[in-house]
Amino acid sequence: MNNIIETEGLSKQYGNVYRVKDVDLSVPEGAIYGFLGPNGAGKSTTLKMILGLTKPTAGAITVFGKRVNSKNRLENLKHVGSLIESPSYYGHLTGAENLRIFQTLRGVPKQNIVDVLKIVRLENQQHKKVSQYSLGMKQRLGLASALLGYPKLLILDEPTNGLDPAGISEMRELIQSLPQKFGMTVVVSSHLLSEVDQLATRVGIIREGELVYQDSLTKLHQYSKQHLAVRTLNNEVTKAFLSQNGVTWEAEDDYLIIPQMRDTRMAEISKALGQNNIGLVRIEERKKSLEDIFLELTGTAVSL
Amino acid sequence: MSAAIWMEVLKAKGRKIWLVVAIMMAVQLLWAGWAISNKDANDLAQGWLFFLYQFPMLNCIIMPVIAAVVASRLSDVEHKGQTFKLLETIIPTKRIFAAKFIWGSIYMLGAALGQLAIMIGMGVVLHFGGPVPWGALVGYLLFTLMVSLTIYVFQQGISMLVANQMVPMTLGLIGGFIGLFSMFFPQGFQKLVLWSYYGVLMQVGMNWDPITRATDFYWKAIDWPGLGLILVFFGLIYGVGQILFVRREV
Ligand SMILES: Nc1ncnc2c1ncn2[C@@H]1O[C@H](COP(=O)(O)OP(=O)(O)O)[C@@H](O)[C@H]1O
Ligand SMILES: [Mg+2]
Repeated sequence: MNNIIETEGLSKQYGNVYRVKDVDLSVPEGAIYGFLGPNGAGKSTTLKMILGLTKPTAGAITVFGKRVNSKNRLENLKHVGSLIESPSYYGHLTGAENLRIFQTLRGVPKQNIVDVLKIVRLENQQHKKVSQYSLGMKQRLGLASALLGYPKLLILDEPTNGLDPAGISEMRELIQSLPQKFGMTVVVSSHLLSEVDQLATRVGIIREGELVYQDSLTKLHQYSKQHLAVRTLNNEVTKAFLSQNGVTWEAEDDYLIIPQMRDTRMAEISKALGQNNIGLVRIEERKKSLEDIFLELTGTAVSL
Repeated sequence: MSAAIWMEVLKAKGRKIWLVVAIMMAVQLLWAGWAISNKDANDLAQGWLFFLYQFPMLNCIIMPVIAAVVASRLSDVEHKGQTFKLLETIIPTKRIFAAKFIWGSIYMLGAALGQLAIMIGMGVVLHFGGPVPWGALVGYLLFTLMVSLTIYVFQQGISMLVANQMVPMTLGLIGGFIGLFSMFFPQGFQKLVLWSYYGVLMQVGMNWDPITRATDFYWKAIDWPGLGLILVFFGLIYGVGQILFVRREV
């Protein structure tokens, strides 16, 4: 599968602090790439570097298989739509006039304005001044501007920020429909795990400027598979016993966390423990939540 | 390029920028009317010279105000709507700067033409002495435009770099006042200050006799070094403004 975006050692220094450090992003064609990280982790900075709005301190960026430089930047961006941090708009003009400006500058057909207004469901508000739009409407107008040229790649930086729950789910459905409908590859950043979980096919997690996880969403879910927690009268002896029998363990409070296993295997182990006079007092099934994993990866509590 | 300029025209819609130019022209017209009203027939014989002396003086403050307001009105919509980060993914950053400069220049041209119309109109109505001095009037238009566009590009550079429009407005006003008072400073100093070039490029001089208290205007040779310098100023300010605008990160 082709990667639409690839970065290599992408870094950005502000002052003497690296706010983005050695990020190797890979966004496969047709993916909805969820770029997840707490506020201030470096999501916007990374996306701005990909768009050439901010100059990287180090590293290389490849988009559509071409290494990006200041000469071919705009040529490449013809096929990229973006919405960074907050929508760009002229408040004193109407929604349609706003789109007219970006459509003219992009040199794409006028008909696209009508089409994207329909996609984001703003047809009925298009003749209202944007300064009178609600935040959700502005956000949708921002998405419409990004969609104007039917780009192959869409970069959306926290597009649901500040929306109410209904607006969030509407925006999510909209984004989700884009790859099938228009063959777009979408990068969408968020600080909300639940959002990425519901939207993305591939996930990149950034923490303090470093990419700490990057793989499919399915893989991330596998980390959250079930475990067993056992408690015995003598956990110290149990640890040694488990190790001898090739069972990995992790101590957690009064419990030892061991991998999920077949019933027959567990029966063998409990029998062996009894024979060694180690009283087995509890066996529980435990599930590590996605939130716990996110917390471990980013060191930040999930905000829901 | 032409698309970018047309979009500037569209963005300026409903921003009442021409109203600002019109108000400043009305001020200039009122002032000219007042200045000429206490002149006798003798003075009116020198009417053209009088205007071509007084208008540049007044321009030291009028034009910088127009330039500051126009540049600020054209730029603040971009800051308010955070549009640079989208525009810069569509067209070259240099072109954003150039398109705004060209559309802003039209307002400055409008103001300069307005002044010309006031001078010619009053001169013809009040029967100033001698034929209409077309050569000097064209010179006035060119010099006024040259200086005004240089001041405008200075204002535009700051207005586009700094989101808070109080900064360029304040600088513009301070510049205007320095220009106004630079008449009383030595020639060498005048040529260092952008806003005093309306005076530097004046085509008319004035003698004032302290005993008879009479004023006498006379034609002056064009200050070619001064004209060369303002061209250099323009190139430098445009170049530096553009570089800073392109380099800044959004
Ligand atoms: N222009 C800048 N100058 C200095 N520091 C910046 C600048 N832009 C962003 N930062 C810092 O870089 C870090 C990452 O910011 P950002 O990429 O906006 O994070 P995110 O989008 O993940 O919330 C933050 O600590 C922020 O303060
Ligand atoms: Mg951000």
